[in-house]
Amino acid sequence: MTTLLGRTPSTAARAAPLRPEFRSGFAPLAGAAVLLTLAVALAVPAESWQGGWAETREHTHAAAVLLGIPLALAAGCRQGGRERRRGTGDLLETAVRGALPRFLASAVPVALWVAVGHLVAAGCALLATWYCATGDSPYVVVPLADSLLLGCAALGGQVVGRAVSWRLAAPVLATAGYAVLGFLSYDHDNAWSALSPLIGTSAGRVPVWWQPWVSVAWVGGLAAAAVLALTARRRALALVPLVCATAAAVLLVQSGGPTRPVPVAGRQVCDTSTTPQVCVNARYGKLLPQITGALSGLTGRLEGVDNLPVRFEDRAGRPRADEAELPMVVPLGWSVVRGRLTEPEQYAWEAGTALVGRAGCDGLDPAVARTDAAVEHYLAPSPQEKHFDELAAQGSPADRAELRAGQRARARLLGMAQDERRAWLSEYFATAGDCDPSGVPAL
Amino acid sequence: MTGTGPVLYARSRALPQTLAALAATTVLAVWAAHSLDSYLDPERRVPVVALAPLVAATAIGTSLHSASEELDRTAVRPWWRRRLTHLLCLTALAAALLPLAVLSGARTFGAPAMVRNVLGCVGLTAGAAVVLGARLSWLPVFGYVSAMYMGVSGLRGTSLPAWAWLLEPGAGGGAWATAAVLFTVGGGAYAVKGARGAP
Repeated sequence: MTTLLGRTPSTAARAAPLRPEFRSGFAPLAGAAVLLTLAVALAVPAESWQGGWAETREHTHAAAVLLGIPLALAAGCRQGGRERRRGTGDLLETAVRGALPRFLASAVPVALWVAVGHLVAAGCALLATWYCATGDSPYVVVPLADSLLLGCAALGGQVVGRAVSWRLAAPVLATAGYAVLGFLSYDHDNAWSALSPLIGTSAGRVPVWWQPWVSVAWVGGLAAAAVLALTARRRALALVPLVCATAAAVLLVQSGGPTRPVPVAGRQVCDTSTTPQVCVNARYGKLLPQITGALSGLTGRLEGVDNLPVRFEDRAGRPRADEAELPMVVPLGWSVVRGRLTEPEQYAWEAGTALVGRAGCDGLDPAVARTDAAVEHYLAPSPQEKHFDELAAQGSPADRAELRAGQRARARLLGMAQDERRAWLSEYFATAGDCDPSGVPAL
Repeated sequence: MTGTGPVLYARSRALPQTLAALAATTVLAVWAAHSLDSYLDPERRVPVVALAPLVAATAIGTSLHSASEELDRTAVRPWWRRRLTHLLCLTALAAALLPLAVLSGARTFGAPAMVRNVLGCVGLTAGAAVVLGARLSWLPVFGYVSAMYMGVSGLRGTSLPAWAWLLEPGAGGGAWATAAVLFTVGGGAYAVKGARGAP
């Protein structure tokens, strides 16, 4: 014979009270709010991250921490005040379950939905980059850790909502979250900035593998301590997560938010069939055919010319003596948008000016400047050249005279026979970068 | 309405607390604008010009809550005048107080931008109160301000689209028009329908 006391409820029956909490009410709305906020915050400046895995990681991480955490705090805080608003607090006190399960039953759905909202937004961002990725590989640890951070923030917010009876508690908590995160993240030289979940890295560096998880332990430990202090039968239990959070905080502050260089950012992929060779940072390796194509006119005109740099390089820092700097590919959103070169002619002109290399000379001789401009025009004319010529044609007599002299120089270079021009260019590039006008061949 | 009517109305809508919240927001905004050294670069006022109207709008939005929504609807007298007066008075107060934080230099993120943002944020909040209830009316404006604050910094060019009215530096006509439309539509909807009754 089976007595009622001896019968244990099935798993489905045990989960039944949780199902409505997950499916209806505020929890799905909170997840949708996080998703929508992050989606808009990421979609508006999509040009500046789409196509670069590191840029995508940076933007999704910054959005998750700076926008998602305050929103998760506010959502949790609102959920925490639910029983008070409905006047069902006393009724719940009569339930068989303890305070902790009752708390978790209303808190976990919001935390999970908030985390899911972020995961979907981060997943969409990764997909958006995947179809036009230019190299490198996706970074998934940081978004996963961010989802946990948002869930922890929602739990912490719920504790505040339970404890504070004030209509404005949720928005004020969120605004305070903004202020605290802004303060911690504003100055990365400050030792306390390591406590901010916002990891300040550049595109060429990533946080060390344990950093995101220790950050989760720091924020999650605080949230768990608050939950246990509010709801556990033995409140001293709250000390355990508090000690964990403190240890994580000490580790973060002492290590100062450690990052390591991404190996791929130090490598280049090169096309050695051209003169000069064209090298692109391996993070954007798939752009090499487009860049080589954009520079094909320039490299074709330089075939057989001596004294040129060996290659266009794309590493951090200044180029070596026998190298020229490839025009900037980053920040994304200018030269490169969604894995495509936006203005190949402009890019080729910038590459040409990098070869001439007299930008740092003060008081450049007008004749040398005219010669440089003629060489730039021959290699790859600027798309704006016609516009500036028209302006000069409408300008003062001095402007018009300079324009005529410049046009004569261009015509002389173009009018040379091919061998003669190669020899002249070889002589010219031997003086490229020299500020002394005496050695520069005239046109 | 007798003489005690307005007093009871003000107490039932937590207006004293809302006034205190608006005053505290103003003090915090003045302090933040000062500590950000905004006189050096008006761009530094962006957090103040974006967040202060947000906090003021959430305070105004939560004051639209009525504890006896269904009972209120049985009243003989029309509510729209009280609702409209309530909303207009608080908005006017916020629009008068918050610009005190950004008085130096009106051209970039100055007093006109602050007033515009107060109007837009309050309009959004009032509209959200009709749809979601007054207690949750802060959520859409909070999401909007958050998304704009981060997203618009990546936009190229100087002229922002109409939906980015919050962060238009000058007194651009498009941004003002959007904020005015938001305030008219949101405020009008609240005056006519009232906040949705929600627990």
